Formats: sequence, C-alpha cells, structure tokens
Amino acid sequence: MFGWKGTLLRVNLTEKTIQKEPLNMKDAELYLGARGLGTKYVIDEVDPKVEPFSPENKVIFMTGPLTGTFAACSGRYVVVTKAPLTGTIGASNSGGHFGPELKFAGYDGIIFEGKADGPVYLYINDDQVEIRSAAHLWGKDVHETTDLLVTETEEDARVACIGPAGERLVKFATIMNDKHRAAGRSGLGAVMGSKNLKAVVVRGTGAVAVAQPDAFLAASMDARTKLKAHPVTGVGLPTYGTEVLVNVLNQSGALPTKNFASGKFDRADETGGETLREKYLVRNKGCFGCSIGCARVTRISDGPYQGFGEGPEYEAGWSYGANCGIHDLAAITKANFICNELGLDPITMGATIACAMEMIKKGILSREQVGRDLVFGDADAIVELTRQTGLRVGFGDQLAEGSYRLAESYGCPELSMTVKKQELPAYDPRGVQGMGLEYATSNRGGCHVRGYLTAPEILGVPEKLDPLTTEGKAFWLKIFQDLTAVIDSAGICLFTSLGIGLPEIAAQIRTALGWDCSDEAILELGERIWNLEKLFNLKAGFSKADDTLPKRLLEEPLPDGPAKGKVVELEPMLEEYYALRGWNADGIPTAEKTKALTIEG
Amino acid sequence: MKVNFYAYFREYANAKELTVDHCATVEDLILFLGQRCGRRMQKELLKEGTVSDQVIILVNGRHIAHLGGPQARLQPDDEISIFPLVAGG
Repeated sequence: MFGWKGTLLRVNLTEKTIQKEPLNMKDAELYLGARGLGTKYVIDEVDPKVEPFSPENKVIFMTGPLTGTFAACSGRYVVVTKAPLTGTIGASNSGGHFGPELKFAGYDGIIFEGKADGPVYLYINDDQVEIRSAAHLWGKDVHETTDLLVTETEEDARVACIGPAGERLVKFATIMNDKHRAAGRSGLGAVMGSKNLKAVVVRGTGAVAVAQPDAFLAASMDARTKLKAHPVTGVGLPTYGTEVLVNVLNQSGALPTKNFASGKFDRADETGGETLREKYLVRNKGCFGCSIGCARVTRISDGPYQGFGEGPEYEAGWSYGANCGIHDLAAITKANFICNELGLDPITMGATIACAMEMIKKGILSREQVGRDLVFGDADAIVELTRQTGLRVGFGDQLAEGSYRLAESYGCPELSMTVKKQELPAYDPRGVQGMGLEYATSNRGGCHVRGYLTAPEILGVPEKLDPLTTEGKAFWLKIFQDLTAVIDSAGICLFTSLGIGLPEIAAQIRTALGWDCSDEAILELGERIWNLEKLFNLKAGFSKADDTLPKRLLEEPLPDGPAKGKVVELEPMLEEYYALRGWNADGIPTAEKTKALTIEG
Repeated sequence: MKVNFYAYFREYANAKELTVDHCATVEDLILFLGQRCGRRMQKELLKEGTVSDQVIILVNGRHIAHLGGPQARLQPDDEISIFPLVAGG
C-alpha cells in the first residue's frame, strides 16, 4: 500500500473498545485524505443535526497520503467533527510532528465515538493501543499535560491534547499538538472535552511507502527547491513570519481596527513582524518535513508580560492588536502564549474581546458586568480576560461563548464580526472584496484559509487582482477553494501554495499514490470535497441566508484609507459564485453537479 | 514625497522612511532609490532596468499594478510604501 498505511483506529469511549479496521480505499480515491476523507467519514456516520457535545458526535483525526512522507511540508493532519462554535462541518488542520508520528505507528486516522465516563487519554505505541486514565491530567494546561505524558510514556512520543478551555467546553477551544501547534478554529477542542478525552499520545517507528520512489523523490525535491528559491517561502516567511503582513494590510487600509470600525491602525508598525523580529524573536522553526520555517519561537524577558513560547502569528497579532486598539506587542505575545497554554483560538478570543470593548463603549455592557475597565487599547485586559476565558471564571465565562452568542445575549448581535458565528480574521473585506466572498461562502464560517484571495488581491501572488473591485473574484475564489481542499486533504501545508502551484503539488500526490491522472483531475478532487462539505452544512440546516456578512461590512462604508467609502458588494459576487459552482440560485448543488462529481448521499 | 520601507528594505535604506524630492513616475522613484540606497536596494528593486515585479509597491495604499505599473504618475504629496514579496496569514 502506498501513501497510506491502510488501517484506521476506531475507539469507542463509552464501551472502552478499540478496533483496527481497514481504511475505506474507495473513499480515499474520491476524497484524497485528511480534510476530504475525514469529512466523508463524518457524513457517513454522524447526523448533521447532532448536538456537537452529544456522545453521538464523533471526532476524527485523519492524515493525508503525503503526511509523513518526503513531500514538501508534509507534517499536517486534520481533525473533523461537527463544530460547536458554528454548527457547520468543523475541520481544522495542524502541523508539527503528531500527524506523521501517527502514520509511523501504522494508522491513517482515529475515529473517536461516544463519551468516556471519566478523563482518559489514548496511548498508541505502534501495535499497542490503550485507553488510559487521564484523571491526573484534568485541569492541567497544554504544556504541563504534554510534559507529563511524555514522561510517563515515551521520550519520543508526540502529544495532541486539550487544555482547561477544552475541558470547560469553551466554544473556541483548540486541540494543541507538540505544545505549540493548533487545530485551531471552530472549537474542536471542546468536542474532545465533551468526550472526556484529554489527549492522544503516539509513538511510531514505521515509515510511509510511496508508489514510485524515484519519481516521488524528484517531484518532492523540485517542490522543495522552488519553495527555497521563492521570495515568499524562501525569504519572507522564514525571516519575518506571518506577522510581516501587519504593515502591508495596514498600508492597504484593510487592517480591521477596533472591531472593524476602521481599516487603519496608526500604531500598527509596533505590532508587526519587523518589530517582533527586533524585540522578541529567539529563532524561527519548522514543522515535520518543512522547507519554509515560518513559526516564531519568542521570549519576553522583562516587564509585566514575561514568558516563552511561540507566536504570535499574523492573525493573533491582529486580533489582540489593531482589532483591540493595542500596540503593546509584549502584551499581545503574552496573550497568545496563554491561548496556547490553555488551548484557545486567539482569533476568536481577541475578536470577542474587541466586540466586548465596543459593547462597553456603546454602554451595552457595564464595568460592573465585566468586572474591570475594558476600553480599546487596554493591554492588561487582553491578558487577564484570556486567562479568565480559558478557565471560564468571571466575565471569561461569557466570553467563552464567542462574540456572536455574547452580543446576542445583550441584544446586539450586529456587533459580532462573524459569519456562521465564527469570528472573521484579519482582512477587512471592504478593502479586499474577494475576501468578503470567501468569508461568506467558507464551509466553516468566517475563515481566511479556505480560499486566501488576500494573496492575489493585496500581495500580488500569483496574480494581481484589484482588491477594490468584484470582477473575477468568484472565478478565482472557486479555484483557490478547490486547490486548498486538495492541499488540506493531501496532508501538506497550505503555505506551499505561496511558492508552488497545482503542477508541483499534483506531481507529489500522483507519484506517492501511483496515480495516472491529470492536474485537472486532482483539482476536481478539491471541488468534490468542497461540495461534500456544503452538503453537510445544508443538511445541518444552513441556507443561502447564512452565506452573508455582518451588517457593518455590507452597509457601513470604511471611513478612511485607500478603500474609504467602500462596502462589500457581496450579492453580485455570490450570484456569480453559485453559478460557477454549478449550484442553483439558493446555493444548493444541483443533482447534475453532485452526479458529475460522483458524490453519494 | 514620503517613502516607507518595510522588512529588509529598512536595512537597505538604513531608515524606516525617507522624504524625497518629487519624482514624476514610480520608475523614476525606484531608479532614484537604487542610486541613493546602494547596491542591495538596487538589486531588489530593479530587474532588467525597470521596476521588479518581485516587490510590493503601494502608492497611497494602492498596488502599482492597479495604477498603471511602473509608469504610474506620482504627486508631490504621495506616500509610497515598499515591501518585499510577502504572504502568509
């Protein structure tokens, strides 16, 4: 078997049983792996209307056929489940070393079912697989949990776990692996918490075979060489990390500031990648098989926010920075450390605090209700409220529901900058029109990494599209979304697409699996996966009415910067997008489309 | 005109920003900066005698690709921002 190990673990936490079963190879051919294949298993086994925290929901860890191989940046795995933040299909992927280690142990994925009657973790050491008590780990943070598990199992074991936030069902809790890498969005860590599943520990000593070793080696070397030679993946990302985007977006007038009140932050430079490199960067770091090295290992040595860890990435630097009106990079970095330790998504965390800041400003929330002052620019607040949220204490218990539920409970849902209840990331779509379409149509709600049109619209990679117009955005978004689905499902890093394209990615997939097919056929796998996710969401009750944006972005023009006066012209883009996807005017895939894509059910 | 530098262009310019005399076009400005700031700047900004497409140049926040390219006209009060090709997020 090539690319795959051919075996899944099925772990029933209620019955305390572990079964090894063959991977469904027919579905692996249709849905590639990781995100696509994991979604297929969820569709087949979980009612889309299931309550995310019920034992009937399942949590699926899935690798792709390139995970753990020599392919460029092949350290990814995905977690798929019904997401508690959004109610949509939830699929978040992560790098590090956990995914490859699972393959090395002999498994392509793990399906968790039911609910344990007390805290447990799963221990995998090649053929040996056990459900063990995690009573001594419950309440411990991600770093403590990881260290204890490595000590009590294997020195070289890899750990994916939840922190206190996941245990307390914070709606945007993450699953952290290798301490600092996150399956970050949509609250998947809380689903683990709802099952009393604290961690998965894996040690593997095998390898992943590929179908055409010489051709695969050549394809992988070609991809790696191009990534090294490209200015983005060879210089920009390793040197400055993703935070380098702060100044570009700010100068473009699309850096959302103070809960999307503006697109310009006058102190943005103090929070950018250049400043991070100058003040707090210890070194850069890569995941398994990485030839980029975008991660930031950072230390704050003095002052009130001392700490050591990784990040922040651009999105966290923005959510806590410009979006909260904060220019203190030490506080931003510290808040990000706390997210990693407690297991929280910093995008939703920072954006939820920003929403609360606006609610205070408008007099909807009082100082007494929050328990402290909370004005835009309050650096101490982001650190304290992040800790409160991860532990669900004080006002943090309300923040733990995310900005939509928070604002809705006070009668002002329009102040939540979310799509399908998930917080938008760091690009104001009034200044990046195509990103507005991406947010509205993403199958997991407000998200930038399903079709990253910022690359062509702001950065000019690989094409140069005008960010202020709608022309051509639907066409490009469909291609980006389908290609991203391929990348996420193959088990490689999305950042490869900043330096290489479909031909290089398809060549690695083909030679690993021994497939004889065109690049276009590989891209069609992505389209099939996209439609499958859409069908899950439709069955869960979503409709065209949910493919929209916060009222502010549709009706309130940006007040300043190059995009001054712009709102998102969503409707014409959406209409064109549905048509390009072969969906009807209500955004529902037609029978002809699903038949052409060979989607069952 | 005000010119802002980012990432390693700050090292090449030895400054975060410069105020320069009016240049008629983006290309004129880039040729001037190549001479003013030395070989590393020149090498990054220029390709085959004109403005490299491997850099991001914004004029008042708009990418020059959408303003007519290297021949885009500049006004005395324009703000120009120069970045290497970056992405991520």
